[in-house]
Amino acid sequence: MKKPDLKKYSKQIIWIAVIAVVCIVLAVLKPGREQLLSSTSPKMQKLIDEDKGSTRKRVTVTYNSLLIINYVSLSSSGANEMSERYVGFLGKVYPADAGAMKVVGQMVNYSYRMLGCGENLMHGAKLTILLTTLTVIFGLLLGTLLALGKISKKKILSRISGAYIFFFRGTPLLIQLFVVYFTVPGIFGFAWRDLFSSADAEAVYKGAFTAAAIAFALNSGAYCAEIVRSAIQSIDKGQFEASKALGMTYPQTMTRIIIPQSIRRMIPNVSNEFIMILKDASLVFAISLMDITTISKNIMTSEGSYLVFIPALVIYLLITAFFGFIFDKIEKKFSVYE
Amino acid sequence: MKKKITAAFLAVMMLSLTACGAAKDADASAEGGHEATVDVSNVKLMSDGVLSVGCEVGYPPFEDFADDGSTPIGYDVDIINAVAEKLGLKANIINTAWDGIFAGIGVNYDVACSAVTITPERQETMLFSTPYINNYQAVVLLADDDRTVNSFNDLNGLSIALQKETTSDILMSDYKSTGTIDVQIVANEKVTSCFTQLQNGEVDAVVVDSTVADGYINSSDAFKIAYQDESEPEQFGIAIAKDNEPLQAAINQALKELEEEGYIKETYDYWFGAAAE
Repeated sequence: MKKPDLKKYSKQIIWIAVIAVVCIVLAVLKPGREQLLSSTSPKMQKLIDEDKGSTRKRVTVTYNSLLIINYVSLSSSGANEMSERYVGFLGKVYPADAGAMKVVGQMVNYSYRMLGCGENLMHGAKLTILLTTLTVIFGLLLGTLLALGKISKKKILSRISGAYIFFFRGTPLLIQLFVVYFTVPGIFGFAWRDLFSSADAEAVYKGAFTAAAIAFALNSGAYCAEIVRSAIQSIDKGQFEASKALGMTYPQTMTRIIIPQSIRRMIPNVSNEFIMILKDASLVFAISLMDITTISKNIMTSEGSYLVFIPALVIYLLITAFFGFIFDKIEKKFSVYE
Repeated sequence: MKKKITAAFLAVMMLSLTACGAAKDADASAEGGHEATVDVSNVKLMSDGVLSVGCEVGYPPFEDFADDGSTPIGYDVDIINAVAEKLGLKANIINTAWDGIFAGIGVNYDVACSAVTITPERQETMLFSTPYINNYQAVVLLADDDRTVNSFNDLNGLSIALQKETTSDILMSDYKSTGTIDVQIVANEKVTSCFTQLQNGEVDAVVVDSTVADGYINSSDAFKIAYQDESEPEQFGIAIAKDNEPLQAAINQALKELEEEGYIKETYDYWFGAAAE
């Protein structure tokens, strides 16, 4: 393969460098957490001080930092209901209780929550990306096996693969998810979180995530099987015959001749499947995990803010743009076989 | 041969479909028994003669589907049916998701009667009837769990399940976000999922309305109420659109009469058991 032509990309590289430099400057000039917290009113400070040592604390302090901008909100409920919000940008602290700054503050807070910053890997955008990637990897492996099974001359193999594909394509993913998470442990008497150490407080999320990854991979396997099968069968018969004439066995023909050629033809479809799963990942709401869609819906119902869907769309687009770029590169790389 | 099988299959399907249709009508006649005593001629309703009610069916014993899978039953259903009869209307229960149930008031239905807690925040955007039941936040554990819970602070370090966007959610999220206790919150769409998770051992406890907990404990030995927070009682009311004051007045009058007739107490005892008081 040729080395990528740097000159062709020089414009893009300059742009990326400029953006990076601006971001670094803004990030350095961003006021710190202490500076934001010290801007609060004396009344709120008093409440925070009272909370220290109290068994029932009243003040919620939210601190969200997003690379170049940060946001702090302090709120208390009950008898002393108060709330104060501040946005920090370029070395200054702006009150964000009203006007344009309020919207800016909300955007920072919503994006922070939907990206899953400050949370474990099973939250927000991280959950979506991790689940989708795992699903596609295991789905493709499973799908390749199933596709080889389905086109195999052995009747049993072909029947089993066909039945598997029929079952997992013919039932809704949501119900498969329910079955894996609720029904299977219910019948066999185990709990998903017991797979992890009982001292691990996050075991409950890890358990749910494992169940989700299994259900998604099983489901995606069926779809990938058809993608792989169609790609394999699209390779010209002459290739098989030529390999046979050279004395290659069936496994050799498949792994060395047919599959490498079919990869390029699979990629557009796999990319499609990837994007479908990315959006289907929102089904994990049903087993109490929180992905981008679930979080944005929660914000909508609890705060009544319809603005939340704008950052949600932007986050989804950024993720699909990134993976679309990667799939493009892979496709270019494999087109050398054509 | 194949064609014949297909035809037979189709015929069976058609038959079973019509059978479903027939079964549905059988239960439609409610027992009734309340005279229309409240005048609603000046009340604005979505459609004449019908009080349409938004309800998240799937929150037993307040509202759930009967065994036929389509008739809503429960405490709320009995109350709202009686209220509608008092108003000389027919209640039409519209099953809706809890998310966004309030956005539908005055748009898709006249009122929401779905175990709605009266809170100051909600009162800013909607009207409420007088409360028709008192409720507490309760902690439910498996019956064979020997933990003692004397306050919500004892949930520190546990994983708990609760229904999304409910008072339980708001309360426990506040305990967590203020740093009072460290707790893993598992939020579900339906309260029934919480109890399945508890039974499967995915979570350690469920935080839920005491009335719902009473209903579950009445019907199953697997659970027990470990703690009930009696310091902060909540009241459930029927939610009405902000601009529909005549309807609020009419519903309050109906509830008052039902209370005087002893109907509310009777219904309460039926759904929650006399022991729950």
